[in-house]
Amino acid sequence: MTDTSYDMEPFHLQFPFTRSLGSTMSTFFSALAEGQIIGVRIGDRVVAPPMEYDPETGADAGSEWVKVGPKGTVGTWTWVPEPTRLHPVQEPFAFAFITLDGADTPILHAVKASEDQLAAGLRVEAQFKTGDDVNGRIDDIVFVPASDPSPSEGAGEAYTAPAEPEVQMMDAFCDLVYVDNFAPATREWAAALMQGRLFGRRCPKCDRMIIGANPMCSVDGIFLGDGAVVELEGTGVVSNFTVITPTPYPGQKETEPFVRCSIMIDGADAVIGQQEIVGVPASEVRVGMRVAIEWAPEGERNVDDLGNGNHGATAGAVRGWRPTGEPDEPAENYVERMM
Amino acid sequence: MSSQPVAVVGIGQTHHKSKRRDVSITGLVREAAQRALEDANMDWGDIDAVVLGKAPDLFEGVMKPEMYLADALGANGKPMFRVHTAGSVGGSTGIVGSQLVESGRHKRVLSVAFEKQSEGNAQFALGGGKSGSIGAGGAFAPFIRAYIRRSGAPEDIGWKVAVKDRLNGAKNPYAHLKLADITIEKVKESPMMWDPLHFLESCPSSDGACAVVFTDEEGGKAASKPPAWVLATSMRSEPGWFAGRDAVDPQAAHDCSADIYKQVGITNPREQIDCAELYVPFSWYEPMWLEAHDIAAPGEGWKMTDSGATALDGDFPVNMSGGVLSSNPIGASGLLRFSEAALQVRGLAGDHQVGGAKLALAQAYGANAQFFAMWAVGSSLDPLG
Repeated sequence: MTDTSYDMEPFHLQFPFTRSLGSTMSTFFSALAEGQIIGVRIGDRVVAPPMEYDPETGADAGSEWVKVGPKGTVGTWTWVPEPTRLHPVQEPFAFAFITLDGADTPILHAVKASEDQLAAGLRVEAQFKTGDDVNGRIDDIVFVPASDPSPSEGAGEAYTAPAEPEVQMMDAFCDLVYVDNFAPATREWAAALMQGRLFGRRCPKCDRMIIGANPMCSVDGIFLGDGAVVELEGTGVVSNFTVITPTPYPGQKETEPFVRCSIMIDGADAVIGQQEIVGVPASEVRVGMRVAIEWAPEGERNVDDLGNGNHGATAGAVRGWRPTGEPDEPAENYVERMM
Repeated sequence: MSSQPVAVVGIGQTHHKSKRRDVSITGLVREAAQRALEDANMDWGDIDAVVLGKAPDLFEGVMKPEMYLADALGANGKPMFRVHTAGSVGGSTGIVGSQLVESGRHKRVLSVAFEKQSEGNAQFALGGGKSGSIGAGGAFAPFIRAYIRRSGAPEDIGWKVAVKDRLNGAKNPYAHLKLADITIEKVKESPMMWDPLHFLESCPSSDGACAVVFTDEEGGKAASKPPAWVLATSMRSEPGWFAGRDAVDPQAAHDCSADIYKQVGITNPREQIDCAELYVPFSWYEPMWLEAHDIAAPGEGWKMTDSGATALDGDFPVNMSGGVLSSNPIGASGLLRFSEAALQVRGLAGDHQVGGAKLALAQAYGANAQFFAMWAVGSSLDPLG
């Protein structure tokens, strides 16, 4: 079988997740937006940033807030010579554990300094964003070497939190780039789709037909080599379907109800799932309808949405399946076959 | 294998809502865990090991939340387990916790399961971050269409389940949906979401958590409130897609319940089991699971629904809590089923209590109706005796 190599396009997984902060982190970020870093007293320690619970025991931490910083002392650090676009500082910097004045536990944060300045014991101070740049987020501050190493004023004093802290939510934008490298069977399936071909593999043990980017019989757990490959017709019958009302979400392009069908392929004991129907409105799709595959024109086909484990997915290479207008198939020929 | 009796002595859950904006994920899981510890008359220090379950991390966009939730759940210096079996995960999380006691490895174990759906979007996550996600409804609607065709059930069966579970949910103080005024007409008239499923035949998206404390026979007998005894646990799986697979009536579903019945000595589930919590995220799954778990004969499940047998006052009540149709914090939904079964045999189910329940069944399923987790719990170690 032809094994065509594809340079897979990187996939950007992006989503604007939102965090509800709960009372402890709301209090912390609201104070930060006002230019004050705080911790919480748990037993005989001040934990900063504050936590909702005693990390030693799990008991509730309470709300005895304490002012800490803005200066602190570096305990240890790691140097980041080549920041990515997702790092908090866009020049070489250090991630450091900094024990803020008035606190007994370190905060992990970024330090803007030259590499040779960094040392255990280095005094640093928080630089706060101002004006419209303030978001009430942890990146509202960055640490720099302290101009005056003397102790922070007010550190260790009690902090009185507002009854309703202003910052209640936090955006957590996810931006993950990855390449789903195709497995050999996926490459074969992709190559077939690009050529306008469908194929299955027949299991010699159970006689089941496996369609798509799957080289295994899922039932018998055996590898199905090139000898098991069977070319499939591009015609069949709709054996099941649903009409999906799309819910909007970031990245969703569908706006109108759309159909997904199971199609039992002619001349083979095989069903291909999750197929689109073209040429008739979603409301007219019915079980028993005879359909023929409609390939995207050569040159317009792609396999960008294909992935390993997508089995019979055809997106990008197939426009959909078009009703042929032939009489409906008798139910006994396809009933009970959604897979 | 050495095996010793396991008792459920603590159950806690959050008030489930579409958006629990008042708490962080940490606060959410702790709310359920603290209620379970209070119910068990225990403190964090009494727990020997913690088990955490949730659905895929893409639901909230927090990778490996068990790492940062370990000390939030009092697991500092203790064993911590993460369980993931898609939608059945809540059930599996309960089973793992139970088995850590059953094996004799630990004396007191806390199982916690959660989902905070409001932080992300389930359709996005189920679609792998791409456009055109069919979601759970789109995946299960064809199975439901096939069940209706196969069984010849009238179309109002799904509507009846939707009404019955919501009326039960209205009696449950923790339920997300409390639709006391729901009617067949309202379900039927609600928008078609995944043909043949209407909006009101579908589960909500919820924020919520559930927690269970397990202990051994000695601990169960010494408990201040009545315990539920874990009589049997079982899990089964099968491939989600293969030629000729019967996804309406999966073999794994039959095998899982058969294993439970064998362990407990149940020969007639309909007669011997007092009530059941089945994972019914879409209305038609009530009759489908009644058949796939051999509580009803093939093609007869919908008749139990139709006759009112599965209502709170029927002879085989199903989803007394309101079920997944009333609250769906996905990762927690399985443990909520398991917990409700335990509450019933403890006699602590409040307004949705089935009088005299001695033996209760709970089930959760996941992915392409391919993972199953079940347990049977009793008011005593020998409720059939």
